[in-house]
Amino acid sequence: MYNKSLLSILIGLFLVAFALKKRTPEPTSYIPTPFYRLPVFPTKNDTVALGRLLFYDNILSANNQVSCASCHNSYNAFAHTDHQLSHGIFDSVGTRNAPGLFNLAWQKEFMWDGATHHIEAQALAPLHDPKEMGSNIKALLSKLRASDFYRKAFYDTYKDTIINSNRTLKALAAFELSLVSFESKYDAVKTDNAEFSTQEKAGYKLFKQNCNKCHTEPLFTNGKYMDNNLPIDSSLDDKGRFLVTKQKEDRYKFKVPSLRNLSYTYPYMHDGRFTTLNQVLQHYSSNQNIKNKGKADLEKAIHLSFNERADLISFLLTLNDKNFVFNPAYSFPKKLKDYLIQE
Amino acid sequence: MQHLIFFLLVFMNIGFTSAQLKFSLAHDSLLYIPIRINQEDSVSLLRFYISNIHIEQGRKIIWEAHKKHYLIDFTQNRLATNIVSGTGLENIKKGRLKFTLGVDHKTASQGIGEGPLDPIQGMYWTWQSGYINFKLEGVSSKCPSRKNRFQLHLGGFQKPFRSAQIIELQITGTRANVVFNIHKFLAEINLREAHSIMSPGEKAVSLMEHAKRCFYVQ
Ligand code: HEC
Ligand code: HEC
Repeated sequence: MYNKSLLSILIGLFLVAFALKKRTPEPTSYIPTPFYRLPVFPTKNDTVALGRLLFYDNILSANNQVSCASCHNSYNAFAHTDHQLSHGIFDSVGTRNAPGLFNLAWQKEFMWDGATHHIEAQALAPLHDPKEMGSNIKALLSKLRASDFYRKAFYDTYKDTIINSNRTLKALAAFELSLVSFESKYDAVKTDNAEFSTQEKAGYKLFKQNCNKCHTEPLFTNGKYMDNNLPIDSSLDDKGRFLVTKQKEDRYKFKVPSLRNLSYTYPYMHDGRFTTLNQVLQHYSSNQNIKNKGKADLEKAIHLSFNERADLISFLLTLNDKNFVFNPAYSFPKKLKDYLIQE
Repeated sequence: MQHLIFFLLVFMNIGFTSAQLKFSLAHDSLLYIPIRINQEDSVSLLRFYISNIHIEQGRKIIWEAHKKHYLIDFTQNRLATNIVSGTGLENIKKGRLKFTLGVDHKTASQGIGEGPLDPIQGMYWTWQSGYINFKLEGVSSKCPSRKNRFQLHLGGFQKPFRSAQIIELQITGTRANVVFNIHKFLAEINLREAHSIMSPGEKAVSLMEHAKRCFYVQ
């Protein structure tokens, strides 16, 4: 008797858990489990919605002119395509390109060198950087507390008007974690909803032979720091991962970026040195700049004929996710637009 | 034991007047440090985290502080209100006081904390994530830096530069004064070279190890 009711409770719990799970964007079989729990599908007034307001609001910067979206544009898969950006770090100042923001829940560390270990801490970096937003969390909180709009927005989310760093940073993180991009043609092929063309198929084969080791599918990154033999730009001399770990073997290593949404995220590489995929493949074909022969991540050039390059690029283009880029749930929030207009 | 008091010891001979930091674990009492500054050397800011404060007897934990993390702050002669509390301290006659100087790496590897761990406290690095475990700033004639300023921001929670230190001190009797000897700390470091440390690394770890050796029970 007792056992039976226990069993039904367990089954009940299981069903509840299942129902809750259902509400998250369905992680299909070929996609690994994320590091972070994905937020439930954005509702009107949850932390994702609040984070979205913050992400698009210039209030985050000291002069009220820069928002996260200034450098991370939804139509560029949240990258920045106009120019390369500098990032002021203690003694060493490097120029870094703003990466696209998607599938962040699957990332263990952030930034090209992994300087940020947790998504909630990430926003502090641009917020405090004198070259990015030039503000700080204290100043931001007092601005938010003084704003009727945000007092209401926090109330809508939390049912009280307490505005603190924890809530602010968690909301930004929630919005960022909601940026999930698995609706490319590649994904449709994986789930048997589409087929590759002959050329794409040939490109996929070349990809698996030459690139998958580092740009591992289905995320198209292995999440590691590696050196793909880019010539050192002596004017920047950005030592990458070394700046964080101070280990000699990490010099000039950068986080392997995802290859999803490449059509939207140009220019490429940590310093945005290439603007086209052709230039990228040209780089991989050149034999120079192998810094630690015998211990290099990429020991030799990846030679590809003209046709092979065309095939490979046609495959890479199947990784573009138009639905992601034009998803209205990720664009400038109407609520904020309306508020700014009536201001 | 009636009190467990944290003192900050400052000797005359390097120009600091003796000052005390009372950090009473027994009662909700105050913590303050009037650091008087002479013409050559001064400490303008000293803040550090203390985590997981507890007392052990044998292998047993017989007392624990109420909160996991405390930010000890001696900023600008201000009367700080750090309060470490925990019931039952008055009955303890002896044991091993253990605490972590800094934020333990497990906590540091998680997201943003609240209360003392709120990044608003200015003890969180922003360009690189992680807590600053120990922050000491001031002026010394030994520093070749601009305006003779020194800034030691010691932290780092990732291998191989984990910097938080576990400190273990024997306590006996009815009163235990835990002392951080800032004279020893400053006298035994090379401020000429290490006057500006702002990131995790070997130097930060060795200075944290040094800070650990500057705690003792009187
Ligand atoms: C001035 C331009 C600029 C602004 C403003 C800016 N970012 Fe960035 N963002 C960058 C650059 C450049 C990088 C790469 C930095 C690096 O690797 O050191 C980056 C990296 C990131 C990353 C890491 C992505 C990854 O894959 O590792 C996240 C997440 C991010 N930004 C979110 C934000 C948020 C949230 C805001 C607003 C609070 C913001 N950014 C504001 C330029 C900017
Ligand atoms: C040894 C590992 C490795 C291999 C193999 C490799 N890459 Fe990369 N790739 C990297 C790293 C690391 C970066 C980032 C380098 C940087 O910015 O400094 C990168 C960057 C890129 C970028 C720029 C992406 C962006 O958003 O900026 C593209 C495109 C790219 N690789 C395509 C390829 C293709 C196509 C192949 C196969 C022909 C390939 N890679 C093989 C490690 C590798």
